[in-house]
Amino acid sequence: MAINPVPDHVPPEMVRDFSLFTSPGMPPTPNGDPHAAVACAHDGPPIFYSPYNTQDGRGTWVITRAADQRKVLQDAETFSSHRSIFSSILGETWPTIPLELDPPAHGAFRSLLSPLLSPKRVTALEPAVRERAIALIDRITASATSCDVMKDFAFPFTVSIFLRFLGLPDQGLDTFVGWAKDLLHGDDVERPVAARKIVAFIDELATNRRKDPVDDLMTFIVQAQIEGRRLTDGEIRGIGVLVFVAGLDTVAAAIGFDLAYLARNLKDQELLRSEPDRILLATEELLRAYPPIQLIRVATKDIDFEGAPIRKGDYVSCATMIANRDPEEFESPNTVDLAREHNRHAAFGYGPHRCLGSHLARREIVIGLEEWLARIPTFRIKEGTAPITCGGHVFGIENLILDWS
Amino acid sequence: MRIIVHNAKCQGHARCWAQAPDIFKLDDDGYILPGDIQVAEGEQLLASQGARSCPERALEVDRTSAARFEPAAMQPRTGEA
Ligand code: HEM
Ligand code: SF4
Repeated sequence: MAINPVPDHVPPEMVRDFSLFTSPGMPPTPNGDPHAAVACAHDGPPIFYSPYNTQDGRGTWVITRAADQRKVLQDAETFSSHRSIFSSILGETWPTIPLELDPPAHGAFRSLLSPLLSPKRVTALEPAVRERAIALIDRITASATSCDVMKDFAFPFTVSIFLRFLGLPDQGLDTFVGWAKDLLHGDDVERPVAARKIVAFIDELATNRRKDPVDDLMTFIVQAQIEGRRLTDGEIRGIGVLVFVAGLDTVAAAIGFDLAYLARNLKDQELLRSEPDRILLATEELLRAYPPIQLIRVATKDIDFEGAPIRKGDYVSCATMIANRDPEEFESPNTVDLAREHNRHAAFGYGPHRCLGSHLARREIVIGLEEWLARIPTFRIKEGTAPITCGGHVFGIENLILDWS
Repeated sequence: MRIIVHNAKCQGHARCWAQAPDIFKLDDDGYILPGDIQVAEGEQLLASQGARSCPERALEVDRTSAARFEPAAMQPRTGEA
């Protein structure tokens, strides 16, 4: 994989040997803690340049402080989201929508989707989410005192909620999870293959729903209008692909990291089991400690930002896992304190692209933890096994074998 | 006490509403409704917690009236006691 040379305008003293892809703890690691590993970014200057910090080996500025990330993410005029992260895997340059559009174009699409994921709508989805969690956990406990949380609970739970939201049948579940894994954590051969399959699938779904409308998200999109016109095929594809990718891996990873934490910290596990009212607040702290995403922006003009000579076209990284360990924003940031208050963490981003799925994601995590703790007695990581974690554009946990025998 | 709402900064996190749904009202998309919020006597703590929970810093607590009032009203009593 090619590494771009450090551009001339970057002062050599601002370059740091740090990468979300290659630093210690970032490649797949048994018993890894990639979030703790990146907290070391705060030992140095608040902004620095990493020569290798994207999937395709580009350099980025790294914004470490939460307050500075807020400034970058709230200023879409200077820091654009046009970057074709998905389509570049295919050697193409179309945006996923609304993620890779800037205001004002972004607003029309966002308004189209936001009622579908609003706090009210999510409240209405809650019974179905809970029912799904209970059914999966009951199936696990009926036959075993141990399971792989990722394979048996986190993925089937989050993906099936999500498929229901998209209006797709559960049969496709394993296939979709496979695509998502290859896309987010696969090698240079697997990633384009997965990306092509997802695009073909979304295109076909759109064609079908145009012909035979049903009551689901894709039908809504193909029938929707913005500014008095129907959406183009490219726009429909951009939305479909984003919604597909955004909800597949993130919530599952969050549940995995959360249960791994509780399996290793039995006092906290017992506290949440005996006082489930604490789960709501605890979920926020776990989102702070274990957020999955790095956000990338592209500078639209030359700007000297907090001492960094950022030039037009430079990539700027706002890694939520780094902001969430900022000692200027959070007291004892490397301590997980499940009762932490005023927890304005960055897990869902800041600014106009704030995660549209945040209300759904929060409910899924809270309900997942509530039902898990209510139905499974004291659990630990199974002896002789080690969860494998990885860093990258989206942090993940591949396996989590828990035991409660 | 009053909460000054900077609507342009609101991005629909709904954290204020999660703290105090009766004080912070949202529109159908989950963004805060326009207009500053007058906070009732007994709800000041809850309201300021809600304001402090906003990740975008879109909610500003304005205590000016309360800050001028309360100590002045308190002083004579403590003084006489
Ligand atoms: C714990 C789970 C999740 C996390 C941590 C998360 C995080 C994020 C973050 C940080 C962004 C902002 C990206 C940027 O500014 O470049 C984002 C955007 C987005 N997320 Fe999520 N997400 C999660 C789950 C979901 C789910 C379940 C859905 C869908 C149902 C979803 C849908 C979206 C959409 C549509 C956007 C684009 C919003 C826009 O560009 O205006 N997310 N997410
Ligand atoms: S917490 Fe802030 S951003 Fe979120 S709805 Fe309330 S005011 Fe808006």
